[in-house]
Parts: sequence; structure tokens; C-alpha cells
Amino acid sequence: MRQLFLAGLAFLAACLISPGLGQAQTAAAIQPILQDHQALIVKSSRKTIGPAIDAVAASGLPQAQTVLEVWAAKNMWQRKSDGLFFIGEKIDSKTYALTDFDSGESVGEFAKSELKQLKPNSGIRALIGTALVQFQLSDPNIEARRAALLSIERDPEASLLAPLRASIEAESDPALKAQKQRLERLLTIGYDSDEAARLAAIADMAGDLGVDVRATLNPLLTTKRDVVAGSVPEGANIAAILTPGQGDFDRLSAYDMLVAKDLAPVRISQADIRSELAAHIEGARVGGVPVAKLNTEGNRLTAYTALAEAGAVPAFVTDTAIDAALAAHTFFDAYLEPSEAVTDAAAQALKDIELKVGLNQTLDLTLDALSLASIYFLAAIGLAITFGVMGVINMAHGEFIMMGAYTGYVVQQIIPDHTLSIIVAIPTAFAVTFAAGVAMERLVIRWLQARPLETLLATFGISIALQQLAKNIFGTQARPLTAPGWLDGAWVMNDVVSISYIRIAIFILALIFLAVFLYIMKRTRLGLETRAVTQNPRMAASMGINPDRVNMLTFGLGSGIAGIAGVAIGLFAKVTSELGSDYIVQSFMTVVVGGVGNIWGTLAGAAMIGFLQKGIEWMNPSNTLAAQTYMIIFIIIFIQFRPRGIIALKGRAAGD
Amino acid sequence: MQRSFIAKNPSVLIFLAILALFTLLVTVMSEGFGVGGISTSFIKTLGKTLCLCLIALAMDLIWGYTGILSLGHFAFFGLGGYMIGMWLMYERTRLIVVDSLANAEIPPTDGEVIDAIGNQIFGVVGSSDFPLIWAFADSLTIQLALVLLVPGLLALIFGWLAFRSRVTGVYLSILTQAMTLALALYLFQNDSGLRGNNGLSGLQNLPGVTASQDYVSLWFFWASAAALGAGYVLCAWLVSGKFGSVIRGIRDNEARARFLGYSVETYKLVIFTLTACIAAIAGALYYPQAGIINPAEIAPIASIYLAVWVAIGGRGRLYGAVIGAAFVSLLSTWFTGGQAPDVNLGFYTIKWVDWWLVLLGLSFVLVTLFAPKGIGGLIDILSDRRAAKEASQ
Repeated sequence: MRQLFLAGLAFLAACLISPGLGQAQTAAAIQPILQDHQALIVKSSRKTIGPAIDAVAASGLPQAQTVLEVWAAKNMWQRKSDGLFFIGEKIDSKTYALTDFDSGESVGEFAKSELKQLKPNSGIRALIGTALVQFQLSDPNIEARRAALLSIERDPEASLLAPLRASIEAESDPALKAQKQRLERLLTIGYDSDEAARLAAIADMAGDLGVDVRATLNPLLTTKRDVVAGSVPEGANIAAILTPGQGDFDRLSAYDMLVAKDLAPVRISQADIRSELAAHIEGARVGGVPVAKLNTEGNRLTAYTALAEAGAVPAFVTDTAIDAALAAHTFFDAYLEPSEAVTDAAAQALKDIELKVGLNQTLDLTLDALSLASIYFLAAIGLAITFGVMGVINMAHGEFIMMGAYTGYVVQQIIPDHTLSIIVAIPTAFAVTFAAGVAMERLVIRWLQARPLETLLATFGISIALQQLAKNIFGTQARPLTAPGWLDGAWVMNDVVSISYIRIAIFILALIFLAVFLYIMKRTRLGLETRAVTQNPRMAASMGINPDRVNMLTFGLGSGIAGIAGVAIGLFAKVTSELGSDYIVQSFMTVVVGGVGNIWGTLAGAAMIGFLQKGIEWMNPSNTLAAQTYMIIFIIIFIQFRPRGIIALKGRAAGD
Repeated sequence: MQRSFIAKNPSVLIFLAILALFTLLVTVMSEGFGVGGISTSFIKTLGKTLCLCLIALAMDLIWGYTGILSLGHFAFFGLGGYMIGMWLMYERTRLIVVDSLANAEIPPTDGEVIDAIGNQIFGVVGSSDFPLIWAFADSLTIQLALVLLVPGLLALIFGWLAFRSRVTGVYLSILTQAMTLALALYLFQNDSGLRGNNGLSGLQNLPGVTASQDYVSLWFFWASAAALGAGYVLCAWLVSGKFGSVIRGIRDNEARARFLGYSVETYKLVIFTLTACIAAIAGALYYPQAGIINPAEIAPIASIYLAVWVAIGGRGRLYGAVIGAAFVSLLSTWFTGGQAPDVNLGFYTIKWVDWWLVLLGLSFVLVTLFAPKGIGGLIDILSDRRAAKEASQ
């Protein structure tokens, strides 16, 4: 509030003072300054133009900005008769109207032949642009100020620091002012000539997570590897002194550095020996050794040494010679930044930042894992019903997921509005897969009730057929299922932690599914009957429950949920006929690891697999294939210790 | 009185006779040694089919006789192929490298030869160093031993872990499927040391052999036929003895077998490892005929097809597995190879390339539902009828 008030005061003050200033300035003219540098301006070379631009920019005249803009836009013309500069405006191809910079009044029309256009090249225009920034930073238009700030951020330079600082005080927009202040700190770290100011700025920015801070600090710690004879030179800001052969600094590359600096003779490699020997064959012998015997490194060396003694080739550099040369020199990494205080402070600040970044990355990873877990949960929850509750193993479950995704795609072809189409697609997908599930239960699974292995095989047959059918209908290329616009983008907490909205939506959807499942199982008639049939079908039947009907509905429900999961998965994955089989093994893993017959187990299983996979990926980020491999191996071992899953049913319900 | 092995298994003699006749027929019709009625590529297909019959035997032993539905036996098949493929590829590349370096002015050192081979083999995955697992690739004897040892050891470890913790039924099926998926995913990586998804190629060329493929294909065909014959006899001998009775007992009632004092886990482990080794031999014979092996061959779906063959052929009987594998895989080749004529329905033309899998999937469902004994069941019906006729006379 106080800031706002002050800003308001500053603005008022500026309004009161500016008319006076304006009058004073109209008296001063910019034309003389231009004339002072006429030769440079006309010569128009990037190397020499500096003083001219500086003079204009530093004149403090309001016309300076116009001059620079007009100049950069190639609209500045010089009158050949007296050498004065004007704004030129095209009337027709041969005539131009000139306007004076100072008075802003037209001075008349001139033929093109009487004028000379100034055409600054891109290098000069960049310099002019830099000079213009100081004007743009205090431009009354906020967009212009923002753009200027952005251009500094992209392309920071020492010369921009002073104008940036000057513009902060008068900035009226609080957000922009904060941005300016932040940028000023960063530029101070990078370019200020005063060491104390830089240290203060580094201290200010320590602990900041922004990528821009790291991008400013990291270059300060750039090192250059160098070597000198004897000890380290005075005055160098040494990062580390290196011992050849330790760490990733091996002897040969150290020696190559010596060679590059002409401090040691060139090393003779095996390939060199080979080509030299080949060049010196004399009558099937080289250096006294028969060519046929040159198939070992020892013999080759003998032959080469003989050649070297004869003076035909440079002497071979032995290992002892290499070691002696390495010992006589000092290898070190030196900072490009000369000030040791600054590099120390930067290193410390970066270390602090790294720690914070690490913590935030953990948070980001947790969010990622959570979202992966909810995807697995979504894919597995239908299976948890059919496999977990009914004990029916449905290998075509993945194909139901695929069916749901394709339903979403088809609906989107009919209803172009993405939001509406998703709203329609979810119940449609449920209906389609529910019907498919019921049909499958009626036609196939019912007849195989006591034979789980054969159910597995029969449903595999259906899975193969459905997959190929989808391929025949929709082709092999991926079909898009586009998310509504409001799900685009991501929720960004800082430069490290962010999560896309679509993943949040899937997380919420998983929670909803969990709630719906619990409600159906614990609070509805169907749930009660399902649990009864699961525990003891004959007893349930004698209590008046129709087990056939219950099995059919439960299976339909599980399949329908798979369909909805398919719509959700289709939103971020590509909809192909293989969509289902990509998830089937993981889904079964989720159910089996979690513990069959228990929704909380499925949740725990999904969480474990999701976190595990992300964790392994984090340890070896380049390789998601390896992550999946190790995860499966882990699960195989995990099953050893808890064969019935994380949450195992106890007692009679566990069955077999 | 103890009946002889042959008397207990009349099908063995019939099978061996048919196999010998078939081999002879193919040889006579071949381009290499015979009149040339069968193309070399079809001989390769037939040879590969024999290998598939062999792994189907293994599958029948583990599934049909022991009741363990393994969905991972193609992992062992593929590993066997990889092991022999390593030698084939190494040796062939070595010969090529030595040949090309022979014209150099200076004879190559051993190190240079190995570097050049490494470059040739692993250049495709951006490397040139030999991974540790190729340490024995230069020795045919060791690699042949590894054909059995590597898959056998994997099966032993996996089986020991799985059976020890009493994982049974569908859980075990899913676990074996996870195993083969993990292996396939691992091999897909470029730094697995086995050339990632490029796999091993050029395996059809026997190093140092200048004979044309017309002959080489027949050699492999004979070897496959011999392996299938030997495998059949071994399996028949196994299932007809006491061992066979015990594993069938485990299949029918595991708990009862355990209470009778049999070490169920040991029996399962032995049969799992043994079938893995049979699968590995089949693979080692299959891939030199196919010419190329890559991790996609090990994908879970391959092992599922294996189960499909055995189920359609009729499990729990050895000839059923062989019939199923031969029938379905040849039919599959015929349909997907584009040789089957399209069916024009007027409003729609059924292209078998597209619709074969649908047909296969559905017929698999039908077989499971209505003919659990598969094609082998037909033979039962025939022999039952004959027995009934004999009884009535």
C-alpha cells in the first residue's frame, strides 16, 4: 500500500515537473550533436559507430529516442547540400518529404537525388536497439517497458545495467518494478564493476529457485583448463589443481594438452606407428623386422625404434618420458572470473540453490509419481473388480480400455466441441464397454467359471481379436483424442515444480473412482450382493440372490470403468490399438502386488508401482526401458516376500 | 510286469515314422539334394516350424502335463537364439574383418582385429567395445553350452523364487509374463550389449561354410527334425514313467501330491528348467534359419501364441502340441503371407492379412469353450470309435 502511495506521489511529481523540463529541452537541439558525428554516422560501420550512438543517447534530449528509432528503421536521410539529417517520408518513388528532428516541422519535399539514405546494417541496428532500451524502459506505454525488460533478460549486457537502474525509481507498475529490481540484481552479479556490489547481489539472490539466477551464477564459475611449467601463476583465480590420472583427467589427455601448447613432443600412437611402418617398407622388411612378423605390438615397436634410430621417423615417446613431462608441469582449472571473492560467493550461493532445487525436485518427482500412480490405479480399478472381487481373470481388460479411448475419439468426430464431447464420451464409453463386458460374461466367462487358466486363455483370444479388429477399423496410425482447452497448460509452482492440469484431472478422476467403487461396494444393494456371491455363491443363491445376474452386472461394471479409464488415458496417450496391451501387464501387477480382492490394496499397489517407476527413472533418467525392467524384477522379488500382495485377505475369504 | 516304453507309448513310433517320412520327402523335393519341388525359403519355413513344434512340446510338458501355464517360455527360446547368434555373428564378422585386413601392407595385430570386429558389430548402437557378455563369443563350444546354461539358469532362479513362495495358477502365469516382458524391455536397450532393437542379424550364414543356402537350409532342417524326434522321445519317456505320473498328480491336485510326500516344488522346478532348456535348443535351431533375432521376438505375445498352439492342438498329449504348432503356425504363415485368396462379400472384401488374427482369436475362444481337447480330441474320437467297433465284433 505504502509503495503504491509513493509510486502515486512520484507520478504526480513527474507530471508537475515534466512541462518545465519539456520547455527547457525544446531549446536544445539534437541536430548539432548529429553534425558533430556526421562522419561516423555516414560511414556507418559497426566498429566505429559507438561514440555517435552514445552521444545521441546520452544527450538527454527527448528527440534522442525519435532519432534512434528513425535511424534504426532506415528512415533517416541526409540532405546532400548541407549534410543535415532529417526524417524522410516517401511521397513517390522520386520524392521524399523531410521533417526536422528538433522542431518536428516539415522542411519541404526533395528529390531523391538530393538526398542520401542512411542504411545501418544489422550490427549497427543492434547497437541502436541497446541504446534505445533506456528510453523504452521509461516509456509511458507499459507494454513497451515489458518488451524492453524481456529483451534485456534474453540478451543481458554490461551497458544495460545503468539505464535499468535509472529506470527502477520511476517505475509505476509494482509488478514490473519488482521484475526490474530482480533483473537489476542479476545484471549486477554479472556485470557490475564494484566487487562489493556484486557480492551483495549474490547474497540477495542466494536461495532463489529461478532458472535465471542459476543462468547468471553458472557462467561465473566457468573454468578453463590450463597447464604451465613449474608452479601456478600468480593472480590466477584457481578452481582446482589437477593430477593427471586422477578422476576423469587421464594421463593421455593431459599429455595432449602439453603437446597442444608445444611443451612436449607429439605422442606416437599405435595408428601412427602403423602408418609410419607402412610408409617405410623396404624389401618386405621394416627396420630389420620382416613385414609378416609385424602382427604384434612388441615387434612393431622394435621396428619403429629401429626406424627412429636411423632418423627416418620421430622418436617414440615412452611412458617414462610422458610421466616426466607430466610431473614437470602443473595442470589446473582457473575461473574466467578474476575475483576470488565473487567465485566463492557464487559457488556457495549455487550450492544453497542446488539444495533447494533438490528438495523441490523431490516434490516434483512426488507429484509425477502420484500422477503415474493414479494412471495405473485408473487402469487397474476395473481389473480390481473383475479379478479382485470376482476372481475372473480378464486379459481383454486392456482392450476395454482401448475401446473406451476409441469411443472418445469417435464421439469427438461427431461433436467437435472438446468439452462437450468429453462429457458425452464418458457415459458413452461406459455404456459401450459395459455392454461388451456383459456380452463377454454371458457368452464366454460364465461357461469357464471353475477354470481360471482357461478363462485367461479365452479372454486372450478375445483380446487378440479385438486388437486386430480395432486395427482393421481405425488403422494402425495413432488417433488423437484432444483434451478440452481448459485442461491445457500446467500448474507452475516455481521453475522446478510444475504439473500439467490434465494430470491433476486424472488424479481427481482416480479419487472419484475410488469413492464410487467404495460407495457401490459398501452402500448399494449390488455391492452387498456382489460381496455375498464372492464369499459364498451357493449360500447367496439360497438367500434369494441371483448369482448369474450379479456376476453379469459386476463384470459389466468393471468393464465400464475400464472404458472410462480409456477416455482418460486417451487424453494424454496416443490412441492406438496397442493402447490396452501397454497397460495390461502393469495393471495386473498393480492388482497382484496390492493384494487381490481389496480396493485399498489396489491403491497401495498403484502407489508403489508409480513411485517405484519414477524413483528408478530418476536414478537413471536416460533410460525408461531400464526403469521398467528393474521395476518388474523388483515386483517378482517382492512377490516372494508377500505372495498375496501388500494387503492380503485373511481367513476364509482369501480362498485360493 | 513292467511294460516296455514303446508299448506304453505307441504314438512314439508312429510319430517318428511320420517325421522320418516327412524329412525324406522334403529332402527329395528340395533344391539342394532333390528334384527341386520345394523352394529353399519354404524349406526354411518348414525347418522353423519343426523348431516351433519342439518348443510346443516343452510347453505341453509344463502346461498340459504339469498344469503350470507359463507365459514366458519364448524368453528361453529367444535367449537360446541369442546365445548361438552371438557366435554366428562374431565368427562371421571376424572372417570378414580378417579377409579385409589381409590386403593391408602390414599384418594386423590381434587387438586391431578385435577392435575392427567390435566396430562392425556394435557400430550400429554407437559403441565399439565388446561388452562382458561377449567374452566367450569366439568359442563355439562355450556358446553352445551357454545355449543351455543361460536359459536353464534363468529358469532355475526364476522357478526357485516363484515355486518356493508357492505362487500358483494365474499368478504364476502373470509372473512369467512379467519375466519375459522385463527381458524383452532389457534387450531393447542399446546398452544391453546385444545391439538393442537391431538384434543380431546375418545368422543364416554359417561362418567358414561356402555352400549355398540351398544346402545350409537342409542341414538345419535335418537338425531341427532330429531335435524334434529326440525331444519327442525324451518327453514321451518322461511322461510315461513315474516322473510323469507325479507331475500329472501335481496338475490334478497339488495339495494331495504334497501330502503324499512328494516334493512338489522340486518336481516343478525340474520340469520348468528342463522345458526351458528344450525351448532354448529350439530357439538355437530356429534363429539361424530365420536369419535375424531381435527383442520383439521375446515380447509377451509370442509366448501367448505358444499357448494358443498347444491349446488348439490339444494339451496333455504330446502329438497334440506338435499338430497344433505345425497347423497353426503354417496356417498363420499362409494367411499373413498374403497367399490366401481374399473373400469378396460384395459389400466388403475380407483381406486375410487383416482378418486372420481376428479369426485366430475367435477360434481360440471357441476351442477353449467347446473343444478343450483341441485337434487331438478328434484322434480320440477316431480311436474310440475303432475300439467300440472292435468291442462290438
